[in-house]
Amino acid sequence: MHHTQETSHETARRPSVLHIFKIYYPDLFGGTLTVIRDICASLKDAFASAVLVCSQSTEKRQIVVNDVPVERVRSFGNLLSLPAAPTYPWRLWRKIADHDLLALHAPFPLADLVFAFGFGRKRPLVVHWHADIVTHAGLRWFIEPLMRRTLRQAKAIIVSDHVLVDNTPLLREFADKCHVVPFGIDTSGYDWPKIEPHHVNDRGRLVLACGRLVPYKGFDVLIRAAAAHDFEAWIIGEGAERPRLMQLIEELGLTERVRLLGSVNDCERIKLMCLADVFVLPSITNAETFGLAQLEAMAAGRPVVNTALDTAVPRVARHGMEAITVPPGDAGKLGEAIDTLIRDPERRRQMGLAARTRALTRYSAAAFRQGMETVYRDAVAAPREQRSMNVEPPPATAWFDGIRIAATLAWSDMRHRYVRSLLGPFWMSLQMAIVVAVLGSVIGQMSNANVLSRLPMLALSMTAWTFLNSVVLDATTALQNSASLIRDRALPPVIFLLQCTFRQGLFALHNACVPLVLWLILSPHDFSHALAALPGLLLFLACTFALSLVLGAMATRYRDLKPIIESTLMLAFLASPVIWSSDMINHRSMVMRLNPLTHLFAVWREPLTGVHVDPTSIVYVLVVLALLTVASVLTLVHLRKAAFWI
Amino acid sequence: MISISLRNVCLDYPLYGAYDYSLKRRLLGHLIREPGEMRIIRAVDDVTIEAETGARIGLAGPNGSGKSTLLRLIAGVYPPSSGSITIRGNVVPLLGLNAGVNLDFVAEDNIALLLRISGRKPTQTMIDEIWAFTELEARMRRLPLRMFSSGMLMRVLFATATAFPADILLLDEWLSVVDEHFAEKAQARLLHLVSRAAIVVIASHDQPLLRRTCTRIINLDHGRIASTVTVEPPAAHALELREKRA
Repeated sequence: MHHTQETSHETARRPSVLHIFKIYYPDLFGGTLTVIRDICASLKDAFASAVLVCSQSTEKRQIVVNDVPVERVRSFGNLLSLPAAPTYPWRLWRKIADHDLLALHAPFPLADLVFAFGFGRKRPLVVHWHADIVTHAGLRWFIEPLMRRTLRQAKAIIVSDHVLVDNTPLLREFADKCHVVPFGIDTSGYDWPKIEPHHVNDRGRLVLACGRLVPYKGFDVLIRAAAAHDFEAWIIGEGAERPRLMQLIEELGLTERVRLLGSVNDCERIKLMCLADVFVLPSITNAETFGLAQLEAMAAGRPVVNTALDTAVPRVARHGMEAITVPPGDAGKLGEAIDTLIRDPERRRQMGLAARTRALTRYSAAAFRQGMETVYRDAVAAPREQRSMNVEPPPATAWFDGIRIAATLAWSDMRHRYVRSLLGPFWMSLQMAIVVAVLGSVIGQMSNANVLSRLPMLALSMTAWTFLNSVVLDATTALQNSASLIRDRALPPVIFLLQCTFRQGLFALHNACVPLVLWLILSPHDFSHALAALPGLLLFLACTFALSLVLGAMATRYRDLKPIIESTLMLAFLASPVIWSSDMINHRSMVMRLNPLTHLFAVWREPLTGVHVDPTSIVYVLVVLALLTVASVLTLVHLRKAAFWI
Repeated sequence: MISISLRNVCLDYPLYGAYDYSLKRRLLGHLIREPGEMRIIRAVDDVTIEAETGARIGLAGPNGSGKSTLLRLIAGVYPPSSGSITIRGNVVPLLGLNAGVNLDFVAEDNIALLLRISGRKPTQTMIDEIWAFTELEARMRRLPLRMFSSGMLMRVLFATATAFPADILLLDEWLSVVDEHFAEKAQARLLHLVSRAAIVVIASHDQPLLRRTCTRIINLDHGRIASTVTVEPPAAHALELREKRA
């Protein structure tokens, strides 16, 4: 009795690890999942593991796989190799606090998103670097900064071979955090009674490959190689490439010799490994970092043919010792290498023997477990304050300082106007008054409606439009004009984009006296309408600022954008009901309805006149604001490099 | 604890030519598969510097050896391409000669604005003290900076920038513009700043000046550290003595 109590107490004290990845059993089988499963299983005495992944299945959210609790967040399909699981970051954030250690299996940008924004700082983070992003390399510019932030936060980065650190620029930056822990394999399952050193398959021509049917695995290369020779090739695995591979097999007339076996359970797979004569790992990109399957084949005592990738692949099974290494994607060389082994049973036997010895000694499960446990323990034990010690000051105060500096600069700009001339910015108000007077009289000629009652709204619209237009145009040159403050005083560039909004805001307040005076003279005074317009006006301001941020940064990077922005703004102005009122124009005009400016003005103008806002306008503006916010976040990331552009 | 720590820092500086600034050109280049060649120079190459409280580091080297770029890296203007930069303490970078001044404003307003930019609320006494340090005539306070000679301008800027103790002060070719009398005074002030637990990094061609002011001189060549010279402490000591006499 006493004894059991003690054990339960002991289990309660195990630190818990949350494994973070995109997918897990039973939705998929594959090398990375094997690694996660092995870590959970082999460390179960020291750590309590849990897994948080995405899943497309609508079944139970919480399941248990091999005694490990797995939470599956609903995903709606795959987008650019990533699960489209909008709630994953949220779930991850909620779960972080429940665990003592976070183990992120990279690459998984959805989780990087959480860490990049500074969540999860309170818990030590270990990153298992499984592969670099290879498939959608075009997205690097966006994802790499996120990954860098994650790695910066990590206590340790675990790689399977040192060559990954050497060949991955991002990892080289954090070389001092990288720990090499080669995958291990439990060879006991491979002691098939038939494996004797002298055992050689009688037919001597069965070639086995194993992996998910995805493009980077290069199975099409293997199939082409099979066409030129007469060996049999069996491929274990399932995936999206199956129809394409089937078609290729049929086209080449190889249905007799090349078989796609589909998913095969562990026991069967080991049996097949022991049965095969040659194991092939024909992967063609660096997404294959280690090739766990070839290690399994080695444990089964099979000679390997692998490819000369810049990863651990040709180092796990080395050319001339346990393997023949051929250039990736070269069907001819691959076929020749396989043929060489097929025709030489003695060499197969020697290589197989060497392979098994290497698997037993170099890649033992015990060493893997010990390596993992050491890294995990150190990460949990590492003092909290040792975390990311970078130039970043506490963000809240930095933001506040930035806003204050921007306001100071804007204020000084305005004061400077007063210094130069007596009226200061009121000169612009005067100009505004003249514009409104002229426009008003012209509009009065065009329509027979009462012009006077419309003047205040016309003046206000012109003020708002002038504000938006000048903020955006100012922003396109703001960074270049403040080059010395950015480069020599190291002020963050975003300050100067904010300064544009503040400055033009101050000028707009000056201009606002024109509509205010007109309103006081010409309209019945109803303050409740003004109050109702306030939310819309805030939306307008937010959109203006976000737009100026995005366009300002882009126009600094690409100088030819400025004239385009200028003319586009003018066009948008002319195609919007800013100076026209709704009854003067055909409201169903397609261009006008699509023009964001129309809705941007509608959300505050309609309540001001006492009309209810069209819900489409609100939705339209909110969508625009959401898009601009995303663009602004991206811009802020890229503004780090602004000093290079100016 | 105030410290600067640069570990194996590299900076690849992209050189944007006229075409690289054009979005149209770039999109066209994508369409016609023209290999967009972006020239990149390695402005800072594998630099490792550790500095702690009291360090006065001189950066020497020919034009284009990466002195200013290194200072900007420390200031956080450029993000490093690789390596890690750890800065503890607040950095006051004074790199360009006219950083943040508006020549149309009168001297006083400029001082106030510069103080605000560096996060302080200017008061009349502060400005008075700064003005006293410049040793310029009182009536010039109300003149626009455009009318100042470069040496006078430098006095105003130096006086403003060094008015408050900074944790880390970065100076680029700063002291060589002013006349001898003021240079001595400026040095005294720098030493004073250092004595208040600060790090100063100065980039200059003026070797004697670096020897007088710094404890360590790093010679840069093509972005690499060619050599590091430790200046004998007595030199600094003699200067302090002179300061006391004066």
